[in-house]
Amino acid sequence: MARPFPYTYYACDCFDNKVTGVSTKRASTQPQSPEDEDERTFDPKNPRSNYSLYPLEHLLYCEDCLQVRCARCVVEETIAWYCPSCLFEVPSSVVKSDGNRCTRNCYNCPVCMAPMTVSSLEDPTDPSASGGPWILACPYCHWSTAETGIEFEKHTGITAQLSRIANGGKLIPTSKERDKQRERQKELENSKSRNGMLSGSEDSPTADSNKGDGPPSHDDLFSNLSAFYKQQLAAQTPSNPFSPHDINFSSPSSFSRIMNLYSSTTSKKQKREKPTPMREAASVLEGLTIHDASVDAVAIERIKQSGWSSTLSPSQKLAQSTPNMRFDNELRPVATLLHTKCGKRCRSCRHILSKPENKITSTRYKIKLLALHHIPRLSLRHLANPSTNPVPPASAPTFNYNELKSGIPTHFLLHLSNPIFEPIKVTLATPQITPGKIQSRVTILCPQFDVGANTDVWDDALGSSLDPIRHQGGSGGIEAGKIWDRGRNWTSVVIEIVPGFLRDPLAEEGVDDLDEDEDILEIPIFVRLEFEADVNAEDRGLSDSRGERAAREKREEAFWTVVAVGRIAEV
Amino acid sequence: MSRPSARKAAPKGEYIETDSGNKVSRRSAITGTANITLGGRTVIMADVHLRGDLHPTRAVPSSSGKEATPTSISIGRCTVISTGSVIKPPSRISRGQVHYYPMKIGDNVFIGPHCTISAISISSHVHIGEHTTIQPFVIIKENVKILPHAVVPANMVIPSGSVVGGRPAQVVGEVGEGWGVSGGGAGGGLGVGGGGEKSWVEGGDLRELVRSVK
Repeated sequence: MARPFPYTYYACDCFDNKVTGVSTKRASTQPQSPEDEDERTFDPKNPRSNYSLYPLEHLLYCEDCLQVRCARCVVEETIAWYCPSCLFEVPSSVVKSDGNRCTRNCYNCPVCMAPMTVSSLEDPTDPSASGGPWILACPYCHWSTAETGIEFEKHTGITAQLSRIANGGKLIPTSKERDKQRERQKELENSKSRNGMLSGSEDSPTADSNKGDGPPSHDDLFSNLSAFYKQQLAAQTPSNPFSPHDINFSSPSSFSRIMNLYSSTTSKKQKREKPTPMREAASVLEGLTIHDASVDAVAIERIKQSGWSSTLSPSQKLAQSTPNMRFDNELRPVATLLHTKCGKRCRSCRHILSKPENKITSTRYKIKLLALHHIPRLSLRHLANPSTNPVPPASAPTFNYNELKSGIPTHFLLHLSNPIFEPIKVTLATPQITPGKIQSRVTILCPQFDVGANTDVWDDALGSSLDPIRHQGGSGGIEAGKIWDRGRNWTSVVIEIVPGFLRDPLAEEGVDDLDEDEDILEIPIFVRLEFEADVNAEDRGLSDSRGERAAREKREEAFWTVVAVGRIAEV
Repeated sequence: MSRPSARKAAPKGEYIETDSGNKVSRRSAITGTANITLGGRTVIMADVHLRGDLHPTRAVPSSSGKEATPTSISIGRCTVISTGSVIKPPSRISRGQVHYYPMKIGDNVFIGPHCTISAISISSHVHIGEHTTIQPFVIIKENVKILPHAVVPANMVIPSGSVVGGRPAQVVGEVGEGWGVSGGGAGGGLGVGGGGEKSWVEGGDLRELVRSVK
């Protein structure tokens, strides 16, 4: 999600906190000692930084740990499942039995993943009673189930209808029918082999009719294989279910019995039959697939004739429920995946950080602890040269953050607004030269300043005691060690940036090994806050809460931020 | 907007402001004004085309003497429609006739520049990036961000709290819990948004933005 420049990301240090112990053990991979870890400046270009930088809106704040919580240091718990397309809630029992896809009429196009609509194929000159036949059609890429030969009789209950129709319009047998057919074929084969032994080759005509279908489908094979394994398991379980050995592994009661076996010493002496080893599938009817070279030959022939366009892209294949399909005539509409509504807890103290209302349609939260309300917001803005025109007219050309001029000192305003109800002391720190291949020079002219408390909004309007800061003097009022401007709960300071050169001007031509987005000027800024706050009610205890009024404690908070200024222009 | 200047009007600005605080650019193209409702404090910028003339035709009661004017576009409060966007009610062909359906846009919706919108309903606190196409009969729920240059396919339903992008658009993420929260009354009218110059938050209250439009 690219954001327009300038933007600020906040680093959550949860990951680094966890890995320091590991990294020090592996001295070969991480030569840094723990002391260096503290001294180290945050490098926004480090690949690992991708995982710890978040925009402030995405961060939560645990009021018990007094720490920022990012997506990696919260535990999610699912409150409800719902279909993003029809917005119906799906009960958890149904999710367990039917899987994580919508069982209504919600389908996505297997080609482009756009939601599909049910359309009528009714002939206007010869209208049918039901208005059908119906197809699923994609309004975006115009793929429809008519291309794979699937038509529906009704426009409702698409899932049930689709599960019965194979591509090409043939009916898919239900599991019961499959079982019956398998039994029949087995008997036929048995009798055939017996006949074969007795009277040489004699083909039964019924068995041959089934062979003409080509290789069995994925579903057929799966049902054959699962039936075979079930049979094997059943053969293992003895007739007497209470015997201490030969246990059906799928039942929890027998599992607990196994555990008892191991704990008690008495049953150890009992002699145990050695279980017969399970057999693997040996024929097609048992779910065995034998690689057939002719299938590959057919596939190659098909690519020769219709080209790559008839094959599927990896993402299309992944979206399908059967992973081993190759051609576009095998595509099936993809049932919409369910979404979840989640509450979040702090990973270390398990307190709830955010809890949305249970109803799917509601967008409100019962609990929501945002970092926005606890962490000052940093923002950057270009400062037009104040010496030429102190009040920039509205028509002045806006500063283009996508074309920062290399080597020219540019002034920006760093604005810090305080969301908490106490005045804070802020100390900013930044490396003098930004990390990465392009070295830009950064100077914060006033790294230490105070920010007022977030008091009533009306204090501003009623004219509080803050004096307006006048910017005078030759250098346009930009002075080191002085803040630029301040308000009720915000302060802005000037930051001077000299963007680096994309190419070293002294280097030879053709040295161009910049990675993607290497030309983005990102400044790591370390923010340290000091403020006084009321001691937590829980820490204080209830007994003395009345005696001392409002015990105060000094608190400190520190974190890394990354301010992206813009893109450096080519010279 | 060529009105005979009988009386001396205030110096002409870019926007005409109505009693309820709507700001409509003089350079916007609005057809069928009778079929459009604006909730108040809504901004219609230059070169925006509102197709109010494409109103539902079926619902007109012909039995009573007076015909009720059908609504084709209704827009809520503090919604901003940026330059060059086209708002066109969705239509469907049924029995050989084209029928238009009324579309509804909620409060605090930001529609970026050069979009084409044909959604049937857009709920509140939705942010739509620039050059986005929203095809007919799309339903967008609350707190949704649509990334720039997306094409939202027809009939798609976008659940609340999602980030949507791509062609065709898919749900690519979630807006954070802090979506639209302006962070404890950050003052100074500067840098409330994602860390930049904007004095407003995507998906948040757009009143500041509306006020700044002149």
